[in-house]
Amino acid sequence: MTDEQTLAYVKAVAVVVGLPLDEAQIARVAVHLQRTAGLAATLEDIPLTPHDEPAELFCPAPFDSPR
Amino acid sequence: MPTLSLSQTVQAIASGERSAAEVLEACISRIEATEDRINAFTGTRFDAARAQAAQVDARRARGEALGPLAGVPFAVKNLFDIAGEVTLAGSKVNRSRPPATDDAVLVQRLQAAGAVLVGSLNMDEFAYGFTTENTHYGPTRNPHNLDCTAGGSSGGSGAAVAAGQVPLTLGSDTNGSIRVPSSFCGIWGLKPTFGRLSRRGSFPFVHSIDHLGPFADDLPGLALAYDALQGPDPLDPGCFATALEPTTGSLAQGVEGLRMGVLGGYFEAMATPAAREAVALAADALGAHTAVQRGVEWPDAAAARAAAFIVTASEGGQLHMDSLRTRAEDHEPLSVDRLIAGALQPAAWYVRAQRFRRRYRDQVNALFRDWDVLIAPATPLAAPAIGSEWVYINGQRLPCRPSIGLLTQPVSFSGCPVVTAPLWPGGTGGLPIGVQLIAAPWREDLALRAGWALAQSGVAQVKEISL
Repeated sequence: MTDEQTLAYVKAVAVVVGLPLDEAQIARVAVHLQRTAGLAATLEDIPLTPHDEPAELFCPAPFDSPR
Repeated sequence: MPTLSLSQTVQAIASGERSAAEVLEACISRIEATEDRINAFTGTRFDAARAQAAQVDARRARGEALGPLAGVPFAVKNLFDIAGEVTLAGSKVNRSRPPATDDAVLVQRLQAAGAVLVGSLNMDEFAYGFTTENTHYGPTRNPHNLDCTAGGSSGGSGAAVAAGQVPLTLGSDTNGSIRVPSSFCGIWGLKPTFGRLSRRGSFPFVHSIDHLGPFADDLPGLALAYDALQGPDPLDPGCFATALEPTTGSLAQGVEGLRMGVLGGYFEAMATPAAREAVALAADALGAHTAVQRGVEWPDAAAARAAAFIVTASEGGQLHMDSLRTRAEDHEPLSVDRLIAGALQPAAWYVRAQRFRRRYRDQVNALFRDWDVLIAPATPLAAPAIGSEWVYINGQRLPCRPSIGLLTQPVSFSGCPVVTAPLWPGGTGGLPIGVQLIAAPWREDLALRAGWALAQSGVAQVKEISL
């Protein structure tokens, strides 16, 4: 992701999630996101299979029947 | 009157050598004499504490049984609920929240054990930081060098113990926030297994990784406090403990017969010479009792740090979306841009990090089939000066604040319990560096036994400070 692409991403997604950001904030946030993109690339190098499930799983609460 | 450590305080009160009131007044005097330089506390409740201490003394006078922490003064990071007070979590944003109706579960458990709550402690806003450079409440200063950070995010918890203000504190650890202040302040800390202790009544940061735990000024006291904090909590969806597993009774077994190793690879590459010396000091001391093998490889440490960073950013950012939308200017300037960046991260990054985590958990558990306790530095370096923007680790120029957690993040992401022991290597200007004693999930007892052996050897110790 280039610097320009990161700035464009921050602008677009901030609109999607309703975060009002001025140009200075967008630039600062993009620096952080760019750094995290590097970490995400590290993670992409780790092979995962379709059967590697997330660590956090929804757990239904015990259900006591009213009858 | 000589200063007593936590476990000595317990014995002195139980035997009648000192009253709870005397112990409390000594702590209050110490807080009043040092707090203007340390800035560990954000709130005190001395009158309520005096009433609690008087109850302990009255119980003793009546010949009633005392709890295991009877009369021990303690304080808590200000993300723990205290009934009647607003839970700030280091923020300005939270000031408009209503006061807590109950004490947090862990606060209740310490008080049930007889401990006396004296106040709440400074932290990085919403626990997102490693330096307790809090713009709203001021930085907490390192008692060993007031120009340096106390670490974070539980910086007040670390500094209060190191400064001798209280012998016991509580903090939280998502990516290192117990282990980093322990390391920088030269005290004992325990990050238990993920899911061991109830988090109910504490303000969250990252639901998937948040842990709570104690700091103390001696190892037996740390174990005593941990045992008092244990217990299942079916009302906390993040508490997986099913039974009490006390540790104090096994401490004196030490490390005899334990399989011990020093982590190499990533954990050496990301450590300064002083941090590596701290580990060597610990390994040599333990080596007098049992074989300690060097160069053990922890699986996928760099990827785990990346995954922890991503999960933290996504969950932390999302948690504060409302105030980021409406009053971002009231957030901590040092972390608000990171929070926003996290809130904007693609879901693909987050989901991949969570899928990696399960695979990683199994790899780490497999490693512990061959080891009982593994040793690594808690921080890459000793406490940097407050305001530092960059640090140098083995020739690499890295951003200071996030890099402080390089060696703690992979470990907490696995959920393993860690005791941080205070070591004193050379080349740090007299500052400590902590060493992580890491055990398999649910084996806090082994990490504490290793800590006990280090304390017995004298190589790990809390140093009294003149302030």
